[in-house]
Amino acid sequence: MTKQRKFVAGALVIVAAIAYLIWAGVSQSVVYFVTPSELLAAPVANKTYRLGGLVQPGTLRWDAKSLDLSFTLSDGKSSVPVKHRGAPPDLFAEGRGAVVEGLWAREGYFKASLILAKHSEEYKAPHEGAEPGYKEIIKSLRGDSR
Amino acid sequence: MTLRGLRWAIPAAVLPVLALLTYGFWTDPKEIPSPLLGRPAAAFSLATFDGGPISLEGLRGKVVMLNFWASWCVPACYDEAPAVERTWRAYKNQGVMVVGIDIQDKEEAARQFLARFGHTFPNAPDPRGRVSVDYGVYGVPETFFIDRNGRVRFKHVGALTDEIARRHLDALLKEPA
Amino acid sequence: MIPELGYAATVAGFVLALSGAVAAVVGGWTGRAEWLRTGERAAIGVWVLITVCIALMLYAFLTFDFSVRYVAINTNRGTPFYYRITALWGALEGSIVLWSWMLSIYTLIVVVQYRRRQPELYPWVLSVMLGILAFFLLVMTIPAPPFERLTPIPPDGRGLNPLLEDSGMITHPVALYLGFTGFTVPFAFAMAALIIGRTGEEWITITRRWTIIAWYFLALGLLIGGWWSYHVLGWGGYWAWDPVENAAFMPWLTATAFLHSVMVQERRRMLKLWNLSLIILTFGLTLFGTFLTRSGIIGSVHSFTQGSIGVFFLSFLSLVLLGSFSLLAWRMDRLRAESQLDSVVSRESTFLLNNLFLLAATFTVFFGTVFPLLSEAVRGVKVSVGAPFFNLVNIPVFLTLLFLMGVGPLIAWRRASAQNLKRNFLKPVLAGIVAAAVLRLFGVANVLVLAAMGLVIFVSATIVLDYARAVRARRRSGEGWSAATWGLLLRQNRRYGGFIVHLGVLVVALGVAGSQAWSVQTETTLEKGQSVELGGYRVRFDGLEASEESNHGKVTGTFSVTSGRHWDVMLHPGRKFYPQEQTPIAAVDYRLGFIEDVYLVLGDFARDGSQATIKLQVNRMVSWLWLGGFVLTIGAALAILPDHRKPA
Repeated sequence: MTKQRKFVAGALVIVAAIAYLIWAGVSQSVVYFVTPSELLAAPVANKTYRLGGLVQPGTLRWDAKSLDLSFTLSDGKSSVPVKHRGAPPDLFAEGRGAVVEGLWAREGYFKASLILAKHSEEYKAPHEGAEPGYKEIIKSLRGDSR
Repeated sequence: MTLRGLRWAIPAAVLPVLALLTYGFWTDPKEIPSPLLGRPAAAFSLATFDGGPISLEGLRGKVVMLNFWASWCVPACYDEAPAVERTWRAYKNQGVMVVGIDIQDKEEAARQFLARFGHTFPNAPDPRGRVSVDYGVYGVPETFFIDRNGRVRFKHVGALTDEIARRHLDALLKEPA
Repeated sequence: MIPELGYAATVAGFVLALSGAVAAVVGGWTGRAEWLRTGERAAIGVWVLITVCIALMLYAFLTFDFSVRYVAINTNRGTPFYYRITALWGALEGSIVLWSWMLSIYTLIVVVQYRRRQPELYPWVLSVMLGILAFFLLVMTIPAPPFERLTPIPPDGRGLNPLLEDSGMITHPVALYLGFTGFTVPFAFAMAALIIGRTGEEWITITRRWTIIAWYFLALGLLIGGWWSYHVLGWGGYWAWDPVENAAFMPWLTATAFLHSVMVQERRRMLKLWNLSLIILTFGLTLFGTFLTRSGIIGSVHSFTQGSIGVFFLSFLSLVLLGSFSLLAWRMDRLRAESQLDSVVSRESTFLLNNLFLLAATFTVFFGTVFPLLSEAVRGVKVSVGAPFFNLVNIPVFLTLLFLMGVGPLIAWRRASAQNLKRNFLKPVLAGIVAAAVLRLFGVANVLVLAAMGLVIFVSATIVLDYARAVRARRRSGEGWSAATWGLLLRQNRRYGGFIVHLGVLVVALGVAGSQAWSVQTETTLEKGQSVELGGYRVRFDGLEASEESNHGKVTGTFSVTSGRHWDVMLHPGRKFYPQEQTPIAAVDYRLGFIEDVYLVLGDFARDGSQATIKLQVNRMVSWLWLGGFVLTIGAALAILPDHRKPA
């Protein structure tokens, strides 16, 4: 019977070790979802957040050369300026929802390391009214390479 | 005796997990609010498929349900079309206006769509897509509920149902002009 | 016409499956054969009806019948021919049909194989399988009917999600579902064994091949999913700890534990409770996975739409888990181990540890996946849990499992003597340590990589050592070379099939370790003629071209890639514009290599073609994942061969 107890004890030690790892893992890497209003109410510098809002029309700036992307996320009440290094992902544009993950910088903006644009399964549409339709893009490229 | 009963702890252990998963049905995925909510609705002035004019200015004082649709919007616009028409017929005499805006569509297909569903409320195409941009529409169908003072109060994304329309319209009708 | 016919077939199928299940139960209870025959006929009927459903759906797809709502949503007139066929399982409703069809075929196989050979277990196995079929047919009838009519008939459909227009789309769901549904059979046998109280090794030996095949297809499905993610989604990765990925990974983990743990029950008649619990968990997790991806309770890049289907799956999952674990509790007395664990240093103990660690990994993945839900339920706070959590906990667990993989096959049963340990493990351990030291000398500083490499060498050495010794022994007893080497593999195919599968896992592990540690990436904007350098490669932007395909427009960039080793290749990443999509979809281009892949994504570009923003990656060792898959295939195929024992 003592042998049995030894095994059980050994198993419990392993379980405890893994439980500790899980606890440590969660505390380290859990990321809180906030809206712009919630973030601005109590921003903590250098803490990782996931910030969700609407990309405010007229605020999107993308410099292809320096790869600097900046825009403002708003929830209708407050807005947060966001800066990101790298091209905007597909599904990302003004007037659409997006979630960004990153840190609140002391200088007063949100430094995003990851942009997740909201993807809706419900309905899909070409938006040829707002941006040049793809047919125009194709036409202009063909004209150039002829 | 208790050791024998202990065995039932195994199936019982499943219950908290199932409870947690059931809870999952009550939570809503985080809705990203429209920045337009509470703001004045963008003005528009269009020509309906019947030829007459329609503008938001001319509807001041009424509660307006603005429905963006398209004939190529399968299946959601097809699903909601009967409900939109039913809502119109139920509320037209209560100071509510239903306006349909057809975006990025071909005229022939749009007319066929209207004929099939027998829509009796005004529908207009949005030729340059300006109105859909003004309202932040990025897909169809989307329905905006505008109060008597011309402010956007609710936005519904996806197919509309009688229940949802009724809920929002009743709420707006209750408010004083 | 098609919607109505199809719907009728679905309803008839459900009624038939349910009545068949009941008939089989009555047959089992009373022992009267005619009830069983009714059940069998129902099984045949269900298969016929589901096949009819599939035939109708294919016909509707091929004839552009947009009166069927599912066809209108998932294809349009521009969809290429083969994708019109694969659209069958491309969305929610169709995937349930595919699942049901596979299940119905498996049920028929069960009928043919076991009606005479296992008269006692058979009625209950049949009833469980028909019962599960009935559930899926119920789902096809109520919350997710594939045969809804769309009125009026739209002139054109919406179209398949372009991300699904890929060869991976043809194979990934099929492989996954073959895996998922495959576990239904061992589960059904486990339930039958519990019901009639025959909790010995029978149900395990009978279902051994099913388990291996299902396990293999699940592994294959996961690897294909990784490949699909890698070469389509444009982020250069193959695994994101996404809830849907996790949902498929968890049953694989418990299935791996089950696969190994049953060997202990066969040999020493222990771990009976473990094995039954593991198969119940595995089957339950396949249902959970389906629930997770279809209920919408956890957001994910992959998830299908919701509706009431989540409620159906959760209810059925509850029924299955509560029912099977209650059966288990009821039969607890018959699950006493017939022998004890003699020593910590033994094969039994190694397998037990294997179970423990695999279960720990499963729990970790489960916990991380539902933690957002838990956090909201308990504290009202919305959180997300990402890759860092899963990696932090799972990496040590997987490294331990690698170690156990080397120890398990060679360590002695009952109690391993010091001599046995030395003989089997001294050289491999030394080899592992030397390998890690050599790598360290070569400048590899990453501790995890060193540990992984050392372990991989250790495990490989045990396999090679064991095989070499066996070959030598056979040669010494007078066998020719081919019999000693090749013949040995065939004669002990279970053992060596398993070894080859382990080798496959090692190859995959190497791929994971190497790609995580040594891949590099950069993002930059290039003018025409400009180059960028990364990882020994120079990539030059040459120009942009536009073209029109059947259902999308495409802009393709031309890039010349050279490396110091005089290796020239042209890459053509592009952006595809589908009319029904909100934004363009990236089309990645890459050059795969044994050690390195060059991976290029086209991002933004100037309208006149003068400038392009690209993301360039040099990914190392990723191909080893796919190679590992091939090795796994060989190993699994060898393992399931019929026993080839030479007569004495």
